[in-house]
Amino acid sequence: MSRHDFGNEGNMRVDRRTFIKGCTMAAAALGLSETMVPKLVAAATSAQRPPVVWLHFQECTGCTESLLRASHPDIGRLILDIISLDYHETVMAAAGHQAEQVLQETISKYDGKFICVVEGGIPTKDGGIYCKIGGRTAVDILAEVAPKAAAVIAIGTCASFGGIQAAKPNPTGAVGVRDLVKNTPIINIPGCPPNPISFLGTVLHYLTFKRLPRTDQLGRPLFAYGREIHDQCERRAHFDEGRFVEQFGDEAHRQGFCLYKVGCKGPGTFSNCPAVRFNGVGAWPVGVGHGCIGCTEPEFWDTMTPFYERLPGVTIPGGGKGIVTGATSVGMKILGVTAAAVGIHAAVGIGKRVVKCKKCNNTPDEQE
Amino acid sequence: MRYQQYLAWSVLLRLFHWSFALSVVVLVTTGFYINFPWTNTMLEGGRSFPVATMFYIHFIAAFVFTAAILARLYLLLFGNRQERFWDFLPITPKNIANLFKTIANYLYISDKYDRRPGHNTLAGTFYIVTFIMALVQVLSGFYMLYPENVVWQTWGLWLLGPLQHARYLHYLIMWYFILFAFIHLYIVVWTDIWHKEGLISSIVNGRKFTPDKS
Repeated sequence: MSRHDFGNEGNMRVDRRTFIKGCTMAAAALGLSETMVPKLVAAATSAQRPPVVWLHFQECTGCTESLLRASHPDIGRLILDIISLDYHETVMAAAGHQAEQVLQETISKYDGKFICVVEGGIPTKDGGIYCKIGGRTAVDILAEVAPKAAAVIAIGTCASFGGIQAAKPNPTGAVGVRDLVKNTPIINIPGCPPNPISFLGTVLHYLTFKRLPRTDQLGRPLFAYGREIHDQCERRAHFDEGRFVEQFGDEAHRQGFCLYKVGCKGPGTFSNCPAVRFNGVGAWPVGVGHGCIGCTEPEFWDTMTPFYERLPGVTIPGGGKGIVTGATSVGMKILGVTAAAVGIHAAVGIGKRVVKCKKCNNTPDEQE
Repeated sequence: MRYQQYLAWSVLLRLFHWSFALSVVVLVTTGFYINFPWTNTMLEGGRSFPVATMFYIHFIAAFVFTAAILARLYLLLFGNRQERFWDFLPITPKNIANLFKTIANYLYISDKYDRRPGHNTLAGTFYIVTFIMALVQVLSGFYMLYPENVVWQTWGLWLLGPLQHARYLHYLIMWYFILFAFIHLYIVVWTDIWHKEGLISSIVNGRKFTPDKS
């Protein structure tokens, strides 16, 4: 199966104008000059561009949906047009043995040349039985496909870091691709879902320059994840000047003030959301009045919740399972207990002195 | 009773102590504000930057704090006898005995005070714990200040994990410093009342008193 199989309907084709526009957007996201656009276009239309195998594991297909859905038709079609998608469980026409045969053919025919895109976490507990496709576990499939790929692109937070199924207590032992694949270059495009432009930029970078873009220490491409959301936010001036939303729907919220006090995780989250935005309509969470939930960071379900508070709760040691309270409340309580202890200690000391003075009837001497 | 006076703390140690103490006060005050900016400017165009100013003061104090920590690190290794870490950690039989004697004395179980030229072992142990806590604060703080820097990102991710972990830990350890300051002040006042060695003034002029044996 090739990309032509689902290009039968006319509306699935991308016209030249949309194609160039998409390449230009990707060039802008990559920080490339406009003079590079023709090179990107040439690479994206080259006959030798590598085929793509798209593996779905523990996921909600949200990343694929955000890429292909009508809210973003041009980019979705563009991606399908640029990449030669040989295997994608959601959109391919083939099914069953036929589909698995396509996968086998691609990875043997293009050994070391194809790109493997992984969507979803990989469960490792109990021999990986919690995610099976065609009777084989996700661990097995990844172990077979990834070493033969030229590069692995982990799309979404699940494939990058395990995502929601890796959240505590992680019942299926889910992990991201980087925890299992060691000898193939991996690039992480986290987000829930990630911006299609970040994926497109990475693919075009690879097609044009024959190597993956530079990444940060978490394997995320710097062009998309190089800066904190907080540092690019349009509401940053409200933060610096101390104008805050106190609760959703108040006057400050209507004025579009900073969402820091209602739990925005923009400080501490790396992504290009404020610059690139979503769905081709210039919208992104903070722009429409909801704080960032930090979805591009590892362990975000554990550390970014509660989403409407600044810091995660403190688990009380020895308090049994599930006893969680705010960090400030813990600090205040410990301080209270300490103050009580100090008060008792001081009272005992004073009492002791009074008793001693009555006995010796003079000021106590140094007790050596 | 006659007392002898001797120099216990060098000038650098006293400078460390006060720059550390003052920076902690400033850091905790501004830190609380940064965690929850309780003011709300509401008006636009006022050209006042309360949050940015608080961050600025916090960062300045953080550099003073870091400098103080580095000075103490030097003194832990190359300071005078009382300032080196093996003098006050429970690592020798004598120091371990001092730890128990001090605890008994503090709890009014024993009247005997095992007098040390520098820190007693109980205090010294907690000073080292505080020193380690301070190192974590410095690391998590710089990780949050320079999150895009490769060096801080590498160390931060390796030791602390994502930035939100660093923020969480940074906040919890702030409470350690509040508790430490509270207990520290109580114990020095208590010790100064019960044991006449001029403990409080020693951190100003460096001199402690010991009973004259002659």
